[in-house]
Amino acid sequence: MKKILTVLLVSIGITSFAQTTINPDTVCVNAVGEQYFVTNTPTSTYQWTITGGGTLQTGQGSNSITVDWGAVGGLYPNAVEVIESNAAGCPGSPVLIDVFVLDLSGNPIGPFCTGDPTTTLVGNPAGGTWTGTGVVANAFQPSSAGVGNYVLTYSMAGCTTTINVVVNSGPVTGPIQHY
Amino acid sequence: MKRLFTILLLVLSLTSYSQCVSNQSYTITPAGPYQPGDVVTVNYTLGTFTQLNINWIIAFQINLGAGWTNPQPIITPGNPGGSAGYWMWDLQNTYPSGLNFGPGWRFVNTGFNPDWGTGSTGPFTMGFNVTVDQTCTPDNLSISMNVIGDCLTGGWNNGACCSDPAYNIYNGVVQIPPIITSNINHY
Repeated sequence: MKKILTVLLVSIGITSFAQTTINPDTVCVNAVGEQYFVTNTPTSTYQWTITGGGTLQTGQGSNSITVDWGAVGGLYPNAVEVIESNAAGCPGSPVLIDVFVLDLSGNPIGPFCTGDPTTTLVGNPAGGTWTGTGVVANAFQPSSAGVGNYVLTYSMAGCTTTINVVVNSGPVTGPIQHY
Repeated sequence: MKRLFTILLLVLSLTSYSQCVSNQSYTITPAGPYQPGDVVTVNYTLGTFTQLNINWIIAFQINLGAGWTNPQPIITPGNPGGSAGYWMWDLQNTYPSGLNFGPGWRFVNTGFNPDWGTGSTGPFTMGFNVTVDQTCTPDNLSISMNVIGDCLTGGWNNGACCSDPAYNIYNGVVQIPPIITSNINHY
């Protein structure tokens, strides 16, 4: 059991060091505590610069920092920059990464009646996935959901946004009478 | 006549460049090239010091390029059959002649300037450590030794071979290791 645990820990370690972030990096609007790092050289220091609405929170000088991102979405070129200096204070070349701050939104729909037809759900930017009660293939089926208030979630690249949907009961019509 | 004059010049030339010191040798470890922070050990031996016109040996001057720092003595020269006194490690001393000495060892007879050195003819073996300074530029790392007689320091004004050339031990510059930063990763 101990050996299995050791192998597992080693595997996790290897995985974390092998991780390579694709440029541009994608984060969610208002994300907090996002960690960025480069491989550490113990005798080096690291000067980080954050732009694009981000704020460096912790770790300046070290090889690993945390960043809080702002509320404005968009693509920010070279939003994270680091310059490594060796023990003599000699600076290396800047290393940069672009950041795409992802701001998701969903078009509001409804209110519905239970008999209403299926309505396609639209998220911005397109390409994400809708989930929730009554959602089938990125479309909302009031008849499947039934009467009630629902929260539908739109997800993409680890970010989410929600919309509220109301399904009302239809009028109850009595039998046709003949005076 | 012309040939004789040429030979005379040649003899004078050889004499003026190697009058007092002979059988010099050294070791330097580790071998270069060197990077900032490297510590290098130099051992130097002067086999024989020939006293011309009673010019006595008084100092061993270590010449260091600008890329070196923190010279530290580890082996003090001996004084076989020499005069009373001792070899003192010194980083800087200005002799009465105006000679600016240091770092290195200088012989102290009385501690009063001008001293007159030791009558020993060697051999003299000494060693020191020196460190490559932190730098971002390929600074000079030359090392050489000068043997100084007291005719250079003001202790004796009738000496000869007062300008033996420096004995070269190392030539090179600081090797600046490249700084290679990995790509930025995001958890």
